[in-house]
Amino acid sequence: MVYLDNAATTKPSVGAFERATEYITEKFHNPSGMYNEGFALQSELKKARSVLLSKIADENAFELIFTSCGTESDNQAIFSFAKRGNAVTTAGEHSAVSAAFLELKNRGVIDARFAPLQRDGRVDVNALLALVDDKTSFVSVMHVNNEIGAINDINAIARLVKQKNPRVIFHCDGVQAYGKIPYKLSKDVDLYALSAHKIGGLKGVGALIKRKSLQLPPYLYGGGQEAGRRSGTENVFGIMHFRYAAEEKFATIKEDFNRIKGYREQLWSALDKEVYTRLSSEDATPYILSVSARGLRGEILLHMANDKGLIVGTGSACSSNAKHRYSKVILACGYDEKTADGVLRLSFSPQTTEEEIAKSAEILNEIGRELARKMK
Amino acid sequence: MEKVIIIRYSEIYLKGKNRGFFERAFETNLRRAIEDFDAELIKNSGRYLVQNFPEEQTDEIIEKLKKVFGLHTLSLAYETSSDMDSIFEAAKLQAHSQGTFKVESHRGDKKYPLTSVEISKTLGGLLLDYAKGALKVDVHNPSFTVRVDIRENGKALVFGDFIEGANGMPVGTAGKGLLLLSGGIDSPVAGHMMAKRGMKIDCLHFHSYPYTNMQAKEKVVDLAKILSEYTCGTNLYTVKVTHIQEAIHEKCKPDLMITLLRRFMYRIAERHALRISAQCLITGESLGQVASQTIEGMTSSNSVVERLPVLRPLVGFDKNEIIERSVKMGAYETSILPFEDCCTVFLPDYPAIRPKLDEIAREEAKLDIEALIAEAFESVEKIKI
Repeated sequence: MVYLDNAATTKPSVGAFERATEYITEKFHNPSGMYNEGFALQSELKKARSVLLSKIADENAFELIFTSCGTESDNQAIFSFAKRGNAVTTAGEHSAVSAAFLELKNRGVIDARFAPLQRDGRVDVNALLALVDDKTSFVSVMHVNNEIGAINDINAIARLVKQKNPRVIFHCDGVQAYGKIPYKLSKDVDLYALSAHKIGGLKGVGALIKRKSLQLPPYLYGGGQEAGRRSGTENVFGIMHFRYAAEEKFATIKEDFNRIKGYREQLWSALDKEVYTRLSSEDATPYILSVSARGLRGEILLHMANDKGLIVGTGSACSSNAKHRYSKVILACGYDEKTADGVLRLSFSPQTTEEEIAKSAEILNEIGRELARKMK
Repeated sequence: MEKVIIIRYSEIYLKGKNRGFFERAFETNLRRAIEDFDAELIKNSGRYLVQNFPEEQTDEIIEKLKKVFGLHTLSLAYETSSDMDSIFEAAKLQAHSQGTFKVESHRGDKKYPLTSVEISKTLGGLLLDYAKGALKVDVHNPSFTVRVDIRENGKALVFGDFIEGANGMPVGTAGKGLLLLSGGIDSPVAGHMMAKRGMKIDCLHFHSYPYTNMQAKEKVVDLAKILSEYTCGTNLYTVKVTHIQEAIHEKCKPDLMITLLRRFMYRIAERHALRISAQCLITGESLGQVASQTIEGMTSSNSVVERLPVLRPLVGFDKNEIIERSVKMGAYETSILPFEDCCTVFLPDYPAIRPKLDEIAREEAKLDIEALIAEAFESVEKIKI
């Protein structure tokens, strides 16, 4: 089975699993324990924290809090700081951000503002800045869009936002960027959310990076772990596995980036242009290629591909309810419903091989042509 | 003093010589309903008692029993010894703290020293004294009733309200039907109605993977589970009709897609029903509800069913009446989940509302009906619910 739905989740790293196994078999203790074994784990968690953070940020300026997933990290950031006036985000956000914004809006806490997208899926920065005013308390912009792959220049946007209103807390959902595209966070970014399972880590592990000087209120109350900001016994095995998986990814991040970019273009050039239209731009993340078989239904193609040995993602669901059927992100890029209905998201990992790309193109062309013929 | 549940059955008492047959089925179904609980079922002069169950499971057991067809009413009662002191102790627990009341008594044990009227009078007097003016007797329109039943074994049952059961006839006493279960609101209700008359139900679902998805199928499994609580279990069979739809789409007039597809479904359903010894087909059709549910549409479907009757228990119901029943049986929330239950990809903009049999025959002549049906049968899957 060829797996091209790596934006949904990745296969956990076996190497990291082997290295982390001792945290199940030997070092199973509670890091809060007052005995030597507990202290030892505390210092190993500290090391993991430092490794994960230093890959993308200055350790003197930022710190990292472990959470249970990207959604929790986004929610912690949003519910902690979007507390008054208005909060601004983009029309391209993952629901971990957009649903939290809408909840705060429904509660009457904030006026939630959504900045439009450009055709390529990046936020329209001028429109975003126009929404930021004196009353803006919080801005959230995703780094890499999970559906179309567009990369927002997060440091530049954060700087412009702070120039307009220095009191704004700037958050970024970095789930699809971390370990995949090379970058360093600037000090204009206050909060940054990560998820382990998008880069070979495990489901159930995430992190929230924050600027050190920012006071973050507790999100879960209890035993005072994570310096009191996120109580709950640490998922030691999951965290250590995250660390080792991240080390693997960052060791070859640039080579992988370039190689996967080559694969993405190889796949696109092999796809039948009579069937597929490309939605992802060339300067999007190489890890996501979003295409549309306009006039056909993405989910049917997904099932057909599945039967032929290829797993892909889609932008639409076989729902009889129009509200749930079309990806709001694809529509926000300005595409029509017919295009949105036909979206397939092909997403790669460093494990993806050239042969898999060739085989995928073959399957996608075959099923695309077959369905087009049947639907005539 | 022990808490027990009194179960009374409905129409079975009208039966004559074959009453035993209905009672046995009813008892089997009652036992099945409470099999997961630590409870005992006993038969007691024309009714049943559930006893020896943990008190915290009372509500759960009652909910289960309310889904057993053939059950007219049930009451939560205290079983005590039949002396007046014990009856009074139990009656205090059934009485409200204020309002009007009456006592109704029934004497199964005719040797009991008091008559029914005397029991009611004595107990009423004791309750009035006990309430110190907070209660009054009103035999015509009381706010609650305390009921006493003196049994022949030296025990008495003291209870209050009657809880309405599902009524109908015990499942398993009126043959077996094959329900065409789509995933919408209507078909589970149709199955529920036939089970209410004692029919055992198996279900048949048509899907068109890859045009429909796994969630849609999962939804049908969930609906079959909900229905099975009333039908004392069921089997769900699924059949893939994708190639039939593709063949119709390729060769026949687009406006007849639904008409032709339904005829295939009915043919497959009848053959499958005969295989599993079902004696009829059951559908959730309601006259005029959608384009395919006209009398002409039903005629067209019926004409391919050669040996079995097609029962349409909802044929004269309005949509809101069906929804009401769906809510009541607990299926509505699942039925409205927005997954497509049958392929809408090939649906024509304007389906034929009054299909003519000669035109249908001309279109069907373009298809290899037997080969398509044989292929569909190869995809049959059985899911035990």
